[in-house]
Amino acid sequence: MSNAPLLELRNISKSYGSVQALTDVSFKAHAGEVIGLVGDNGAGKSTLIKVISGVHAPDSGELLVNGEARHWKSPHDSMEAGIETLYQDSGLAPHLTIGANIFLGRELLRRGPLGKLGFLDQRRMERQALEELDKVGISVPAGRKTVSDLSGGQRQAVAIGRAVMWAKNVIILDEPTNHLGARQSQEVLNVIRAAREQGLCVLFISHTLPHVLEVCDRIVVLRLGSIVRDDPTSTYTVESLLGTITGLTK
Amino acid sequence: MSVQSSPVGTAASATTPKKGFSLSTLATNQLTILLLVFIALFFYFGSQNVRFFRTGEISSLVVDFSGLVLLAIAETFVIVSGGIDLSVGSTVAIAGVLGAEVMNHYQGHIGQVPLLLLGTLICALVGLLVGAINAFLITVVNMVPFVATLITLSAGAGYALVVSGGGDVGDNQAAIIWSSTGWWIFTWLSLLVLAVAVITCVILHFTRYGRYTFAIGSNDFAARAAGINIKRHIASIYVLSGLLSGLVGMFWFIRIGSGAPTTGDTANLEAIACVVIGGVSLTGGTGSVLGTLLGCAILTIVTDGLVFINVPPTWNQVVVGAIIAIAAGLQAFRGARSRR
Repeated sequence: MSNAPLLELRNISKSYGSVQALTDVSFKAHAGEVIGLVGDNGAGKSTLIKVISGVHAPDSGELLVNGEARHWKSPHDSMEAGIETLYQDSGLAPHLTIGANIFLGRELLRRGPLGKLGFLDQRRMERQALEELDKVGISVPAGRKTVSDLSGGQRQAVAIGRAVMWAKNVIILDEPTNHLGARQSQEVLNVIRAAREQGLCVLFISHTLPHVLEVCDRIVVLRLGSIVRDDPTSTYTVESLLGTITGLTK
Repeated sequence: MSVQSSPVGTAASATTPKKGFSLSTLATNQLTILLLVFIALFFYFGSQNVRFFRTGEISSLVVDFSGLVLLAIAETFVIVSGGIDLSVGSTVAIAGVLGAEVMNHYQGHIGQVPLLLLGTLICALVGLLVGAINAFLITVVNMVPFVATLITLSAGAGYALVVSGGGDVGDNQAAIIWSSTGWWIFTWLSLLVLAVAVITCVILHFTRYGRYTFAIGSNDFAARAAGINIKRHIASIYVLSGLLSGLVGMFWFIRIGSGAPTTGDTANLEAIACVVIGGVSLTGGTGSVLGTLLGCAILTIVTDGLVFINVPPTWNQVVVGAIIAIAAGLQAFRGARSRR
């Protein structure tokens, strides 16, 4: 099993009504690999990650995790399989605390009979949230602060921290450096490197090409729903990457 | 029940300096303000008319308050989850009328206690059914909650009229007499209602069920992406709302000794008013049962107190409107400030 790719897509296609969002998309992703997923708006990046994370089902094609064909009925299934996704701008519940967001869908319950009744262990969640975020190199103010009280950069940090903390196989980051300053962006890139060290596979979706070139091992370029190029990062320059995305160069 | 391990305390105090506090004080502030408003109103009406302070008057305040509480809590769950339930009032009517029909049939054949328990069961079942219809329309047919519950509002109120023939159903004097017995300022009925209120408060604020309710209202996409089965959860909230409304139907049957098709007429708006006064945002994701309870208390004391300062009851609705305007205005002001 060790040489089977962590995640493999075979001929994935998906359309919304008359719009063909993805056509025959195939690629392999291995453990410890950071893969850049780039493309212009409407190239199909968001649809692709929603297929991988189980938000949408593909019309056709296969999705394999560790060499096994899998079908997601809901995002819950992909999470169970160790795939975590950071969605662009919408991954957190703003009215809930940091701790509540980190543990959303995986709440820690009280020990004993109260836990069986569904009582939450609020303090344990808040404490562990801070500890785990700290482990992945993210420091945030108190775990009981609500997300709406955080700055854009802090929110993003919490969202990334949650994804890295729970991911066992694949972590998908959709525009994680959006709205971030230079230093915060560097911190995000460091978190990505740390995730690679842990043997995770990172799918990094971004419009900020220098970031993609800086951190990725491989770059996959999507255009109009198809993969047009999939090569090691060293074979790209900013200009050639831009040209491939826009379709101006071959 | 507290967690034993000592690091919790140290970690919490180390990691929650002033910043963590500002939020909790903000939340408590709102409840404190509501409580102060309530106390001020209480003493104002009392100062205008000393009879207001008599145990009997306070007891009747508690009864009127109890009639609102469960509907307002039902509405709180729904609104926290980002929805709206317009059918709570008509569910009260249809449950009360159908419960009364069944009790009418058995009255005299079985004892009073089994009769009322049977009525409670029927009211609960009717409420569950209406809630299930709402849940079906919203999560399976994918109607927006406003439209789905508008349908059950209209159909439920209409069906209550059809079944009852427009008049009151049943005549149970023993129930009325029991409804005024109790302890101190509380009738047994009020105590039952308050017990249910405490349970629902615990569910909303301390359990996973409540957490998912807030999460869905705050950001339903995030909740879904976190693996929460949001359709099932939303469905269960409307069923819960129906159940509580059905029980309120029984509450009114006991108070007036019959099922009246008109009991829930203004209840929808009053319930929503209590929730808004209590600080629950109609956009979902925030709110508390405690705030809603204070909202109910304020609404009750104002509508009951007006009588004591010789304001004709015809002004009630206008005053309720004014209170909602003040509460919602404050909320909008706060919202605008916190978004900056």
